[in-house]
Amino acid sequence: MDVTESDLPGVGKKHEVDIGGGQQLVVVTHNTGTRELYLRESEDADSVKLLELSDRMARIVGTILEGAYFQPVESNHVETMLSEGTLLEWYAVEDDSPLVGETLAGADVGQRTGVTVVAIQRDDDVIAAPASTAEIEAGDTIVVIGERDNCERFEQLLGGEL
Amino acid sequence: MADLLGIGVLFAAVAVATLVAVWLNKSVIPFYIVFGMVLSPSVAGQFSVAGYGLPVVESSEFIELGAELGIVFLLFFLGLEFNLDRLLDRWERITRAGTIDLAINFGAGLLLGFALFRDPLAAFLVAGIVYISSSAIITKSLIDLGWIANDEADPLLGTLVFEDLVIAVYLTIAAALVAGGSDVGAAVTSVGVALSFIVALLLLARYGTPWFERALQTNSNEFTVIRAVGITVLVSGIALAIGVSEAVAAFFVGMAFASTTHTHKLENLLEPVRDTFAAVFFFWIGVETDPRLFASVAGLVAAAVVVTTPTKILSGYLGGRAYDLDPRRSIRVGLGMVTRGEFSLIIAAVALTGAGTSLSSELANAVYSFTVAYVLVMSILGTMLMQYSAPFEDFATARFGAE
Repeated sequence: MDVTESDLPGVGKKHEVDIGGGQQLVVVTHNTGTRELYLRESEDADSVKLLELSDRMARIVGTILEGAYFQPVESNHVETMLSEGTLLEWYAVEDDSPLVGETLAGADVGQRTGVTVVAIQRDDDVIAAPASTAEIEAGDTIVVIGERDNCERFEQLLGGEL
Repeated sequence: MADLLGIGVLFAAVAVATLVAVWLNKSVIPFYIVFGMVLSPSVAGQFSVAGYGLPVVESSEFIELGAELGIVFLLFFLGLEFNLDRLLDRWERITRAGTIDLAINFGAGLLLGFALFRDPLAAFLVAGIVYISSSAIITKSLIDLGWIANDEADPLLGTLVFEDLVIAVYLTIAAALVAGGSDVGAAVTSVGVALSFIVALLLLARYGTPWFERALQTNSNEFTVIRAVGITVLVSGIALAIGVSEAVAAFFVGMAFASTTHTHKLENLLEPVRDTFAAVFFFWIGVETDPRLFASVAGLVAAAVVVTTPTKILSGYLGGRAYDLDPRRSIRVGLGMVTRGEFSLIIAAVALTGAGTSLSSELANAVYSFTVAYVLVMSILGTMLMQYSAPFEDFATARFGAE
């Protein structure tokens, strides 16, 4: 892939990206931070303006394009990164899980895995910040916060592997 | 009208000018000038409504100094965005296109100037006035039309950069010649002083980077702005005091800052300062202009438009070809370079300072009115030519092939 960078004195910078099929994507970055996107259908065609983005918007769109917010790959569970290493995760409680019928205190989730249960989703209800006496039922979805390792331990505990 | 009220009228007027420019989708610079003219004593001062005089903005010390600051900041920005290292990458092409542009247009300007005014100094001033294209208006049009993303942007912006460098040297000589008067010895001395000052500034820009770097080292935007303005205006003021163009001094101070790490920050912080005072400068140009004098220079302006439009199209076309562009894009470069603007007006302001000394008052005023009318015509004609470039492109393709 070819990217050509050139200076636009008094304006900013221009990047021309070959995107295949003879097409070029032209990004003009103004000194103000505004980005303009142009598409050039072929080498000698005129550039057609696609859109203009503010500095902030350009960064957001850029990270979406980069896949930072959503990467379309196969995944068994939802994973939300709160900060470096800390996850907010959802786990479904299968019928054969050893935790079915246990209370949170009884399963000793906190001590054994290190995660904090922040909610239990049961049918249409959500039990937010459940008490330690809350009982886990088959079909629940348990929402936990914890380090990646701790979340993995909780998943094992839930699956009867711990 | 004076004091705060007069300044208020000035700023309100240029604010309205921006509204009109947006409404008509045109560059704002000609409107600043026209609004200045309308509110000047020579227009608004002549009328009264129901016994009350119209608001009139008279040229005052504040406006003149504001205009001067406008020139300083316009040139400061040129220097700031003028990066020698970046330029050297494409030096060969830029020089080729720039030299063609200089030879054709400055040459034509000298002949035209002499034919129109019969005076060598006036011819030299006219040559500069018709040579220098408007970076501000052309860059704006390039963005508006989307040409900025096309290949024609390179020779256009490259040639503008070349012109900026030439104009820095030109202004030095022009200011010195105008100040030097008709005495050849005095003129040579003042050109000598000016060039030595420029060399000193060039050395400062080249070797003073660490100092400039430290000078702006602060976390506060306020301190950055104040220090940058302090250095720029002081150096420009010293330049003017010893008879060197303040604009050129500002250009070199800008260049000195360009090699520090503060460039981007300065651009953001000082842009509003530049735009505010540049508006005052264009408005002042209007105020100083008596449109009644346009009638006496109309013939000269018409001759200049007829001569210097084709020369710019030709030199731009050849410049585009020097960049290996096809005829269609090359003709766009030519059309794009037609617009003249702020720098021609700065030269006109220089001419005015020579009234009664190196130039007769009559001649200085004629050159001044000529320039204002010429810039008004060329700024509108140039942007129109860019907007309606299709027939010219078809012609170029039919005549010179599509390649």
